[in-house]
Amino acid sequence: MQPIVCATRGGEASRRTQERAAALAKERGASLVFLYVADCGFAGPLSPTLETAMNDELMRLGGSLVSIAKVRAQEQGVDAQVVVLCGEVRKSIQEYLRQVDAGMLVIGASRPAPEVETSHRGSVDAFADAIRQATGVEVVIVGPD
Amino acid sequence: METLLTAEVVVTLLIAIATLVAIVARRARLPYTVSLVLVGLVIAVWRPVDIQVTPELILSTFVPPLIFEAAFQLDFRTLRTNLGSIVTLAVPGVLITALLVGGLVAAGTGLPFGVTVVFGALIAATDPVAVVSLFRALGAPKRLASAVEGESLFNDGTAIVVFRLALAAAVAGTFHPIGGLLNFGKVALGGLAIGLALGWLVARLMARIDDRLIETTLTTLLAYGAYLLAEYFHVSGVLAVVAAGLFSGNVGLAGASPTTKIMLYNLWHFLAFLANSLVFLLIGLAVDIPDLWANRGAIAVAVAAVLIGRAVAVYSLSWRPPGKGKIPFKWQHVLFWGGLRGAISLALALSLPATLPHREALQAMTFGVLLFTLLVQGTTIQFLLKRLGLVESSEHRLATEAQMGRLFASQAGLRRLEQLHRDGLLTDEMWAGLRADYNQATRQVVGKIRQLFHDHAELEREMLLQARREALLAERGALSDALRRGLISEATYDDLGTEIDNRLEALALIQSSAQDGWAAEREG
Repeated sequence: MQPIVCATRGGEASRRTQERAAALAKERGASLVFLYVADCGFAGPLSPTLETAMNDELMRLGGSLVSIAKVRAQEQGVDAQVVVLCGEVRKSIQEYLRQVDAGMLVIGASRPAPEVETSHRGSVDAFADAIRQATGVEVVIVGPD
Repeated sequence: METLLTAEVVVTLLIAIATLVAIVARRARLPYTVSLVLVGLVIAVWRPVDIQVTPELILSTFVPPLIFEAAFQLDFRTLRTNLGSIVTLAVPGVLITALLVGGLVAAGTGLPFGVTVVFGALIAATDPVAVVSLFRALGAPKRLASAVEGESLFNDGTAIVVFRLALAAAVAGTFHPIGGLLNFGKVALGGLAIGLALGWLVARLMARIDDRLIETTLTTLLAYGAYLLAEYFHVSGVLAVVAAGLFSGNVGLAGASPTTKIMLYNLWHFLAFLANSLVFLLIGLAVDIPDLWANRGAIAVAVAAVLIGRAVAVYSLSWRPPGKGKIPFKWQHVLFWGGLRGAISLALALSLPATLPHREALQAMTFGVLLFTLLVQGTTIQFLLKRLGLVESSEHRLATEAQMGRLFASQAGLRRLEQLHRDGLLTDEMWAGLRADYNQATRQVVGKIRQLFHDHAELEREMLLQARREALLAERGALSDALRRGLISEATYDDLGTEIDNRLEALALIQSSAQDGWAAEREG
């Protein structure tokens, strides 16, 4: 069975997405991977030592956030894996989906500010479409409550 | 020797008062600088010792560290986004304010324009210390704080230059516009050039030396040296310090180790706090209340003129087509009402020569405007920020803080009950009943915190970053402890300490970038 990958930013705001991913994995008997992508290049050019520290801290922060998701999945009876990557978000997700031959990607449409709701949902849809076209993997979007 | 000891006693007393005020202001949630001015006023009425507040004391002792620290901390990348608006407000803005305020005060009081324009120039320099510290406390957008602080840094320099030109014209009785403009350019550019040259020199030295004590001493030398050298060559000392601070903080620090950076930030933070505390206390001390009362009419005119001058300068010069670097309309209101006056205006008013006609009236108007901006604008700016929705997310932060506070208190209560039970002072039944009650309350609080994290994801990330920071600081403390106890060598301590400092700096960058992102959502 191809694994289900849940790309998440972690935390309470992503709980619904993570629980849905765990439920889908349980239903299909698939393995589940929580994937966190840290945008390591946001700060611009840094000294090598600071860059190493920055990337490491971002990865640790991401690791802490997705570890919470792993615990939640365990509570639902699903033993999930946690993967933290560093790089541009969409590209990293696409590469990872290909690498593990994923069967499904689960992403969340976080709760946006009311005035940007339409465009926000639109941007999540466009993000999902781009990944679908590039990898052929089914993408499930979990909306906010 | 006796004079030195007396001065030492006075300074120690002033520092003790400032510290006490800081503690009380923090507990009572009062603006610190405003509290200092009020306490200064009370001391001025009581007058236990005679303190001579001289312009030299303010300008050459307190202004260099204040300006240097502000410029040193200012991120040039953030400043660059607002640079056009900042320079516009700091150069033409100061000229507009000086002329308009001078004209309005002349019309309202009957004083000659040649004299009132001197007042217009000295009152054009803004001092946003009270406002910027409030921005930080309330979590206002960083770019807004940078715009307010950047404008103040540059307009201090231009206001002093314009003030000197206006004063020379008032004393001589004539003014040559072309000569004045050339002199303005010479003084301003000369100051900037000296600051940049010394900043570059110190940066080169810092790149070659890896010793935090020497590097810290070099920046102290730079702050005072730039001011003194520029003044020696009769160019702008304040602009020299601005340029030196900006260069040093943005370029000079690039080669410094994280440990040096942390030491430098802490030192300058402390020096600026000390200088600010003493300056605002001295503002209160310098005010002569009977004199203010005698000039109340002129002061009322001056306050109105300063508000009109500031409004015209901000709203007319901030206009530009929408796009990068445009100051949003909401921010313009903050720039207008947040244009407080402070140390520079005080020092310039005190430096007015005794031969200048209407000197006492100009000084009374300056003190009146200072008190108005500090006591009225300084205490109401937070309502404006809230009203404009520039700190709206702080409500969520306050709610989270409140729930966290409840959680800490509840945990402490439960621990105490457990101890009472262990000591046999609480029966098993009572302990079980109370524990169930406390656990239920804790679950409710945790539920509310989760809901806040769910609705505002940034709060959860902030908390994780804060927790990580606390952990790293604890690691740093443990290293110091191990060094003291002789468990590790100084070399190991330095290596491991640098590693932790790198991580702390990385966390600060992550946090500041995240805050910028969240702030950007509510800037428009």
